[in-house]
Amino acid sequence: MLLSWWKILGILILLYVVIGGLSVPLNPGITDLNPGQLYAGQQKEVTITAYNTHFKTAQPTRIWLKSAEGKFLEAQNVQILTENKLTCHWDIAKNMEGQQYTVIGYNNIDGSFLVPDGIVILKNDSAEEANTAEAQFTDVNTADFVKPSGLRFPYRSILNETIRNTFFHVALWMAMFVLYLLGLYHAIQYLRTGKNEHDWWSVAYNKSGILYGILGLITGSLWARFTWGGWWTNDVKLNMAALSMFLYFGYLLLRNSFNDAEARARISASFSIFAFVALIPLVFIIPRLTDSLHPGNGGNPALGGEDLDHTLRLFFYPSILALILLGCWMAQLKFRMQKLAIKAGIYT
Amino acid sequence: MRPLKIAAIVRKEGMLEFRRKNAFYGILLFCLVLVFLNYKAFNVLRGLEWDVMLWMTVLFCGINAIAKSFIQDGAESRLYYYTLFDPKEVVIGKLIYNFIFLSGLFILVYWGFRFFFDAGIRRDGLFFAGAGLGLLGLSIIFTFIAAVSGRAEGNQGVMMSVMSLPLTLPVLLLLIKITAVAMALITDTSVDGDVWMLLGIDLLLAGLLLLLFDFLWKD
Repeated sequence: MLLSWWKILGILILLYVVIGGLSVPLNPGITDLNPGQLYAGQQKEVTITAYNTHFKTAQPTRIWLKSAEGKFLEAQNVQILTENKLTCHWDIAKNMEGQQYTVIGYNNIDGSFLVPDGIVILKNDSAEEANTAEAQFTDVNTADFVKPSGLRFPYRSILNETIRNTFFHVALWMAMFVLYLLGLYHAIQYLRTGKNEHDWWSVAYNKSGILYGILGLITGSLWARFTWGGWWTNDVKLNMAALSMFLYFGYLLLRNSFNDAEARARISASFSIFAFVALIPLVFIIPRLTDSLHPGNGGNPALGGEDLDHTLRLFFYPSILALILLGCWMAQLKFRMQKLAIKAGIYT
Repeated sequence: MRPLKIAAIVRKEGMLEFRRKNAFYGILLFCLVLVFLNYKAFNVLRGLEWDVMLWMTVLFCGINAIAKSFIQDGAESRLYYYTLFDPKEVVIGKLIYNFIFLSGLFILVYWGFRFFFDAGIRRDGLFFAGAGLGLLGLSIIFTFIAAVSGRAEGNQGVMMSVMSLPLTLPVLLLLIKITAVAMALITDTSVDGDVWMLLGIDLLLAGLLLLLFDFLWKD
């Protein structure tokens, strides 16, 4: 009991991540603005479709356009259609042409929600409709906005609810990498000392790493399907992942093609070290050749910027820890099985 | 490490090749057939496709050519070499021989591709410098994996392919990029950096090969 505290810890943390990560609601957000382009000097009705909002139950929702200078233009005649849908009007003046505005909404239940650069004002060529009045921009103190109570995950367009996959997909890759490093460490130790235990540990860690790799590919592929639109994209990290999977499968194949246990251990350890080090240059080469859709590459914001806010961290870091602990547990079971099998003389 | 011993290994590999003409001609024929297949499959091949197909052909010829370099050594001859040579001498000798052989195959495939298609190489120096470094990297990877798969039981040819092909990707990507710049298919002012990086990869792989070969060799 005392020795297996870390296994219990791993299970408890994983339970916390699964239950919490799937049940914490998302912040409200705006999914659609129709139309997203307005013409200068026009009054136009805009339909706003939102997600996770309570327009009907809340006190009247207010909507603004926010300029780059931080000034606000409030929408007129806001009509609530459903909990998630409303229409409103803006008087667009001539001097607003050619700019992008952030759309911000606020009510007492949902707090504030916004789309950065949601509306573009284009030049209006028809003179009759022109409305030359100056726009009535005002200052709004956003510090007065009531924050909704309770823990909420950030709303990101495109990602939507799939943002929860961060706790599983990303954490699986990180845990996999740690397990592979442990496997590499034992491979090196085997070559240094020649102790069989190191070989057994090495293959046990590599096998649990491979399991995480497969799970990471599946979760990633599902995620890509619903955000980037394809099961597989020509993305750097995907291709790196595929390559490392090929190599580790090759490693398993190699291990199975020896009858002599000593040669198997020595040669597969050498191969795993060679393969691991040989792929390190890819980390430096590939960014020179292509961009990536993943955060932190090709102009996409990095993980840890605004993408990974503190509510996500509450689950993301524990998830990595839990998966590493469980991976070590699986490796330990593999190791013990190997040890018992040799004791019982099942294989050499 | 004694240079004379290394030379002896290179000479021995050459002699073996010369005595087993069948295998040698087999590889040559394989290259020519691949080049001809490329020609009939594409009919017109130019630009980036020419470049990529050239390297793919060299890659597959190289795998077949180098796979045998350790497979042909039985356990007895390994023991015999072990009494005569340091493992590092053996691997350097084999590497030099494999590099020369792969370069020969490359020249053959290259002339085949020039014969059937228009190449349009603008910067010969860059093209062949990149090709030389890339071929060195490929021969190091193939030599190491041949040594690994030579010890495996069962289908050694398949083991050679599945273990070496994924590893060639870093070298192959840089090789295609450098040669594409040399053919003026892409403009890139930092191509010198890529050449240095390829050299760096070669050195890294060579270091690994020397370090790990001892463990593959001794029983």
